[in-house]
Amino acid sequence: MAANLTRYSYWQFRDFIRERGLALIITSTLLGFTVVAPMRAMLGSNIDEVNAKRILMMALPQLVYISAFIALNGLISTDRKLGYYRFLFSKPVSIPAYYAQYFLVSLIGFLAVFAFLLGVFAFVVRPVSPFGALAWCGLVYLSFGGIAFFISSLFRYDWPILAGVYLGSALVNGLWADRGGFRMVIRDMLPPVHKLSAAMNDIMNLGTVDTNSVLWLLGYSALCFAAGLFVLWRRPIG
Amino acid sequence: MIELQNATKVYRSLFGRSVTAVEDFSLQVAEGEVLGIAGPNGAGKSTLISLMLGYLRPTHGRVLIRGLEPRTFVEKNGIGYLSELMTINPNWKADEALVRFATLAAIPPADVRGRVDAVIEELGIGEHRDKKIKALSKGNLQRLGVAQALLRDEEVMILDEPTHGLDPVWTQRFRGIVEGLRRPGRTIIIASHNLDELQRLADRVAIIDRGRLQRLVQTGYDQATDAGGTYRISIATGADRLKAMFPQAVDSGDGEFELTFSSIADLNAALAQLIGGGVLVAGVVPSRSVLEQQFREAVGEQN
Repeated sequence: MAANLTRYSYWQFRDFIRERGLALIITSTLLGFTVVAPMRAMLGSNIDEVNAKRILMMALPQLVYISAFIALNGLISTDRKLGYYRFLFSKPVSIPAYYAQYFLVSLIGFLAVFAFLLGVFAFVVRPVSPFGALAWCGLVYLSFGGIAFFISSLFRYDWPILAGVYLGSALVNGLWADRGGFRMVIRDMLPPVHKLSAAMNDIMNLGTVDTNSVLWLLGYSALCFAAGLFVLWRRPIG
Repeated sequence: MIELQNATKVYRSLFGRSVTAVEDFSLQVAEGEVLGIAGPNGAGKSTLISLMLGYLRPTHGRVLIRGLEPRTFVEKNGIGYLSELMTINPNWKADEALVRFATLAAIPPADVRGRVDAVIEELGIGEHRDKKIKALSKGNLQRLGVAQALLRDEEVMILDEPTHGLDPVWTQRFRGIVEGLRRPGRTIIIASHNLDELQRLADRVAIIDRGRLQRLVQTGYDQATDAGGTYRISIATGADRLKAMFPQAVDSGDGEFELTFSSIADLNAALAQLIGGGVLVAGVVPSRSVLEQQFREAVGEQN
């Protein structure tokens, strides 16, 4: 990657924290509070590690999916919609490389936000090992990320489409879980986000992962990410 | 340096409607040349510029910069570009925006601060450097846009409506800046509605309308194409003598007369006759610049 773009990652990280990170912290704190506060009231202030982990596992899915959505929507489309690309890409910069870097910088920002939130959790409830939770947050980001990246490279108004894809995928996987025929084909073609819940249990309780599920999740996302890069490479941004 | 070969850009909507923004456009812009682009609103100027920056790809034909596809050229070399639409994140500060653009422009880290300070000084926006983009006036924002285009010593500069929103003082200074940018090997393209500005700055002006290149006008004097024109002659004394010598002269009042000549040589002969006849000539200006005349003819014929 070109040195100028690598140096620009500092500014991309600042953009992420200013434009999304603060929103993520506020939204997640409020959402998390609705889960943590009743549990804390029920269990009292002296919560043991098992219960702390249980509370965390109840809170995390509520926060991480919506946070990944906030972190990932408009990754590319915002610059196209608002015309920011005009000045940015008159400089000697590869457009696919710029957004690939922004994707990775956003992952770091996303994990930094959740590291901070886990710190808040440790302060309010009880310290728990953050590694499993952070690994699962990273997995959620990466699983959603490639698809979000691809959709954002194609459409200016990507977030309703992204929301539709995820809701559709969750619904289809719920309704047609055991169906065969064309329903199975449709189900298998949609993003395998339903595998994330099981992955959380594996990672946080067993400290392991179902390799097939994770490979399927990351492979699907990686294919979409590559498709997004191809779109950025071939399709003019204007 | 920049070559457009039968470039055509057609926009197609989802519902099958199509609009041809640029049609069969062929033009070569040489190294060291300043090319003006003039045309009425919706003529296709912005699409043409987007094609040159690789933000759009031609539907037919080709656009090449130094033999490369525009995007390839930009990714290797960069282009000093000022957009007509000042689309910079409104939450960035002016100074911060320039540091960001300098970083992207591959200016070495040790030189970024110095280069940013230099363009801030040159464009006189020092007192606004800590303001957010959204707090800048139109004129200051425009100066910031010019500043970011000047950050690096680019071989190609594309300035879209560069003096839009600038006050007369800065419009004048901008002309000086562009004059200073001229150098062998650098190609400058200026799109503007201001024909007077293009007449002063450009070597040639491409007049476009309805997506087509209508005329390519040489702005300097060219004996081969000299067709004369109408001139406004101001005189201090001797109005009666002028009227006697040139009865066809149109009296515009206040000692100003309009006379039409078939060539520059005829104009000079007439001036010599006037001065020889004791008329004190105070000034001679074309009623309409060559460019304005050509523009009216080219665009007027179409509309």
